Amino acid sequence: MNKTNKKILYVSLVLGPLAFIFITLFIGRYPVSIPVVAQILWCKFTFSSCNLPDIYQTLVWDIRMPRAILGALVGGSLAVSGAAFQGLFRNPLVSSGILGVTSGAGFGAALAIILFHATVPIYISAFFFGGLAVLLSFLIGRVYNTTPVIMLVLGGTIVSSVFSALISFTKYVADPTNELPSIVFWLMGSLASARYQDIVIAGIPMLVGIVGLVAVRWRINVLSMGDKEAHTLGINTKVNKGIVIVCATLATAGAVCVSGIIGWVGLVIPHIGRMLVGNDNRVLIPTSLALGACFLILVDNLGRIITGSEIPLGILTALVGGPFFVYLLKSTKGGGW
Amino acid sequence: MPLLDVQNINFGYDQRDVLKDISFQVNKGEIFFLLGPNGCGKTTLLDCVLGLLKPRNGDIQINGTNINGIRPEIIARQVAYVPQSHEKTFPYTVMDIVLMGRASYIGLFGSPSEEDMAIVEESLALVGILHLRDRRYTQLSGGEGQLVMIARALAQKTPLIVMDEPTAHLDFKHELVIMETIVDLVRETGLSILMATHFPNHAFYFENNDIATRVTLMNDNRFLKAGSPTDVLSEENLKLIYNINARVLSYPIDVDHELRQVIPISTNNSGSDRAPKLFDSRQ
Repeated sequence: MNKTNKKILYVSLVLGPLAFIFITLFIGRYPVSIPVVAQILWCKFTFSSCNLPDIYQTLVWDIRMPRAILGALVGGSLAVSGAAFQGLFRNPLVSSGILGVTSGAGFGAALAIILFHATVPIYISAFFFGGLAVLLSFLIGRVYNTTPVIMLVLGGTIVSSVFSALISFTKYVADPTNELPSIVFWLMGSLASARYQDIVIAGIPMLVGIVGLVAVRWRINVLSMGDKEAHTLGINTKVNKGIVIVCATLATAGAVCVSGIIGWVGLVIPHIGRMLVGNDNRVLIPTSLALGACFLILVDNLGRIITGSEIPLGILTALVGGPFFVYLLKSTKGGGW
Repeated sequence: MPLLDVQNINFGYDQRDVLKDISFQVNKGEIFFLLGPNGCGKTTLLDCVLGLLKPRNGDIQINGTNINGIRPEIIARQVAYVPQSHEKTFPYTVMDIVLMGRASYIGLFGSPSEEDMAIVEESLALVGILHLRDRRYTQLSGGEGQLVMIARALAQKTPLIVMDEPTAHLDFKHELVIMETIVDLVRETGLSILMATHFPNHAFYFENNDIATRVTLMNDNRFLKAGSPTDVLSEENLKLIYNINARVLSYPIDVDHELRQVIPISTNNSGSDRAPKLFDSRQ
């Protein structure tokens, strides 16, 4: 890729998600015109007061805007940690949930739904159990003071199944009139509860994780050569693997705790990125970030407008992403696999 | 001072000894061969020199630096590695792969610079594959792939390169391409090479090309003999190590050059009916 193309790519990676966020402000059953949106944005960014009806301000600035921003953060987090894990585990079939973070977070949320019935404890519990699951996978995968990739994957598989079983258990003991539906809907994923406070709480781990992975993205190339070669190329594999796992876990756990379980993004968005820009993580990681953000905003918007009631995200990501992925596979001949 | 100085190292897993009291030196511009049967400890010894395994005792010094306990990026600026076979995962371009040779010079949050790119192009040109720079390395042939691995090692700018059976999976021609490339590199750059191989003729090939060559025969986790290929790769020694009957042939090519080759004849336990026939035809 030459320099001009690279510049164009990086500019579009920044502008793309911003454009999707902007378009979201118009989408919904209550129509808002362009001048109104422009006026609201102008007032908000210059901290002046608007003389528009409150309903517009609430709709555009307090409902649609945080939802779009959260969608961008969640989609970006899932995609970027999926791409990083695929490189780290040297396996293109790996997704962001490989070390059990999604199952762990799912159990944490289900547990908190039964015990507390409140939003903030659900976030905390989901985040905590998501992190705990990864820690357990890591400890299981540790042999002889090192963590071979295959052992980590095995650890992740074990921990995921245990937490999946625990999720089933919480469903089994949950009150079927109110708790059980909450758990089921939570597990299907949604951005419906998005408020600015959610962005502040969950945004911190997501941003830390994303920034970390973007910063070490070239090291992921070297790690994908395998432990032995990476070490002889001069990098401390233990420390570097640790950094990637911690960052990816912060990003994914932060995403899952506000949005529930949204599959597919962490597996397929990195692949779409690979087909578009190749496998060099220097370009792939930022591309996955932007594509994930755009994709989730798009799917969330579709979910809001297709039917009268919202369709959960976890369902739509696969329904929309699947055919699109097949189209890309066919049109790029798989990108060199 | 030798470039690589290995002094009395021992290595083992739990109760099992893999390396017993091994000492050797590799000088600048010299190629040193490790030869020995499967499981004699060649790869373990290479892993110790690369800093991947820590010997129980003994010292390994490269360029006067003891590599015990120093950071991987410091070791990687002194010794590079060419694997036997590289497991290809993602379809990176040749350029991306060779750039990874610069990892020890680039910080945790850094990416390769223009200068690194220039060094990579220089390395690709040295092994004659600059034209492959934008190809996906998953689509290269085995021989081209191994040249990419050598270019990556060159990009590390180390005085020593460790190679573990670098021609193990290659066809007849590409084996020769790799050997020729290594001869040219040693001549042009004064590199030193430590190579494990299964083919005694590799050592003769370098000696025939007037490269400073030494070879050691390893067996039962220790060195039996070390010296020039002509001295060490004798018919008696090959019999001792591999338990085979072999002939060393010499063919004069000009006044002070001869071409030496080992010809394996028979294994010791395959009966004596094969060997005499061949001996007869020689007379």
